[in-house]
Amino acid sequence: MLRTSKYFLSLLLLVPAGSVRAEPLRVVTSIETFADLARSVGGAFVKAESLARGYQDPHFVEAKPSLLIPLSRADLLVYAGLDLEIGWLPPLVQGSRNPRIQPGAKGNLDASTAIEVLDLPAGKVDRGQGDIHPRGNPHYWLPPLNALKVAKEIAARLKELDPVHGADYDTNLQKFGAQLKAKASEWSRKAAALRGLKVVPYHKSWSYVSDWLGLREIGYVEIKPGIPPDPKHLAELILRMKAESVRVLLIESFYNRGIAGQVADSAGAKLLVLPSDVGATPKIQSYLDLVDAVLDALAVAK
Amino acid sequence: MIASFFSPGTALAALLAQASPVDTVPVSTDSNDLAKQFDSILAAPAPPSQTRKTQGPAGSGLMNPDISVIFDGTAGAANRPRASSAGDDPDFTGPAARRTGGFAVQEVEVGFQSTVDPYFAANVFLTIPNLQGIEVEEAYAVTTSLPAGLQLKLGVFRSAAGRQNEQHLHMQDFSLRPLLNQAYLGADGLRSPGAQLSWLLPLPFFLRLTGEALTVTPGTSPTLGGGLRSSPTFLGNAKTFAALGEAWSLFLGATVATGHAPPAGFTEGNNLDGNGPRTLLADGDLYLKYMPPNHVMNYFALSVQSEYFWRRTATDGSNQVQTDAGFYAQIVAQLTRRWHLGARFDQLGIPASAIQPKGDRISGMVMCTPSEFSRVRLQGEREKVDSGGAIYEALLLLEFSVGAHGAHPF
Repeated sequence: MLRTSKYFLSLLLLVPAGSVRAEPLRVVTSIETFADLARSVGGAFVKAESLARGYQDPHFVEAKPSLLIPLSRADLLVYAGLDLEIGWLPPLVQGSRNPRIQPGAKGNLDASTAIEVLDLPAGKVDRGQGDIHPRGNPHYWLPPLNALKVAKEIAARLKELDPVHGADYDTNLQKFGAQLKAKASEWSRKAAALRGLKVVPYHKSWSYVSDWLGLREIGYVEIKPGIPPDPKHLAELILRMKAESVRVLLIESFYNRGIAGQVADSAGAKLLVLPSDVGATPKIQSYLDLVDAVLDALAVAK
Repeated sequence: MIASFFSPGTALAALLAQASPVDTVPVSTDSNDLAKQFDSILAAPAPPSQTRKTQGPAGSGLMNPDISVIFDGTAGAANRPRASSAGDDPDFTGPAARRTGGFAVQEVEVGFQSTVDPYFAANVFLTIPNLQGIEVEEAYAVTTSLPAGLQLKLGVFRSAAGRQNEQHLHMQDFSLRPLLNQAYLGADGLRSPGAQLSWLLPLPFFLRLTGEALTVTPGTSPTLGGGLRSSPTFLGNAKTFAALGEAWSLFLGATVATGHAPPAGFTEGNNLDGNGPRTLLADGDLYLKYMPPNHVMNYFALSVQSEYFWRRTATDGSNQVQTDAGFYAQIVAQLTRRWHLGARFDQLGIPASAIQPKGDRISGMVMCTPSEFSRVRLQGEREKVDSGGAIYEALLLLEFSVGAHGAHPF
């Protein structure tokens, strides 16, 4: 009898001990920007790492078995959704055997649920339209309003997973908001100067940035999303760029600049190589660095 | 090449007359409002704690499984028919010493993939090889929520015996399966009803151990399936992966399987009187790949793949122990976004046995991939597997994939 009650006593002691996490929450993200946002709102209670590097095309990441290791231990997976990672993430999530991050679980966060989706295709969608994203454009994390919405969503999910530190996540989110607000007037000033700037992006991945800054996208180098251009398309594009006096051609740093550079030269435009993720270059270490880098590059081009 | 872009062949006026197709209307950038907009996002009530929304699927995909169709059509010509073929090789059988070829629909595969519930995911792949009736290539449930890195697969599935056996035809880099597929596993590979338990070990690197119990249909494999139903085939597999820097990957596997070989002269569809001779099958496989992390910059990639199979069994009647082995090695280079080159060498019968004589095949291919969903491959082989002299064959394949087909593992 005494033995049994000892048992119960030790169990009682164990239960509250178990509900306070000794180790930080392990957050795995598909792209580095989300890892940075998770660090901002998670602070000391979160260890975040990204599967893709900022200098990789997030559509095409190899589903290496080594990526299963962080996933198998993750408490939270944050990804862009809208099929951005469809070519590599689903088999990794299933292969991780981690019930905490399976679709539908608390630890599975599709960050696109936090934002308003652009470029939702109307009517029937098929692959004759190229590598189209049928659920809308997934390149949404650059504009600060979207980043804050995603950060808030991450904070909410962290609170759910780790309620003991809920107040800390709230405080961290407010701190991150304050960092953004400190940048607001500088960013707004730079944005106002770019308003109406005509641009030709290489891939249709700048819609959210154009929406934020009021850029006018006159055409794309790719004939259709993910489909490389043919000479006829390029000839027409160059004529259009000249006619519309387009001076800026945008391309993500991970793409080959060959064709885009030739188009820019032919049209008398400047080829602007822009980062699209934290880690795109060694200097871009945080989300704030990323926004600064994009705005500064655009300002020089104008 | 770029010179052709300049040619002002298109009327400028006509272009200008078109409405710009992608005018983005500027919105919501009233300069000093940004700080206020941050505040309103921060102040908005937090999302209700039970929301697990994801963006809904398009169209009719609401509750339907992901459905895909993959088609492999081949035109071919050979000085005489191949001596042995996999079930999903193009069927150009004919009189032994006569020229052959023509058109073949090598395979039509229909895939259904879906989550079942919070505990299982399901995959069903139906295949029609060479228009010869519908087969269940795989139909299984796999657990998603077992603890401790365990995963259970139940149903009929491609066994973890080596590397190529788990892959469907459209994941192969060549139009024919390696010779050791039909020589050691069976024309359709080793795919049988059974159970598979695999364990991803809690280590800082990838190490996965797999155990399988399979009921191999008698006559479908030259090595296994010669046992009564009370005597299943058992298989164990270990796979490990090393990322050698960011660009190089090394994937290694080893398999051991034990079961019964079919008695000599036994053919599919008959009943066994008893267990055939005990068989031991072992496989080692290697996949080495070079692909820079920023692959889309210039698209160059290189992969080397090789498998070695070894078998010990006995011929029926004599009970004399037979040992034989074979391998293949292939190299595939992606040269540009769309162009790939590859070569493969197959060798059987080193050592040879009464079951498996010496033979080899050399294959070369050039492949064009217009998109991720279609490819065209021209392949040629020289095969020397019997006393009838060399077989020369050329194959032109068109493959397409439509619908939602799950991404493939590494």
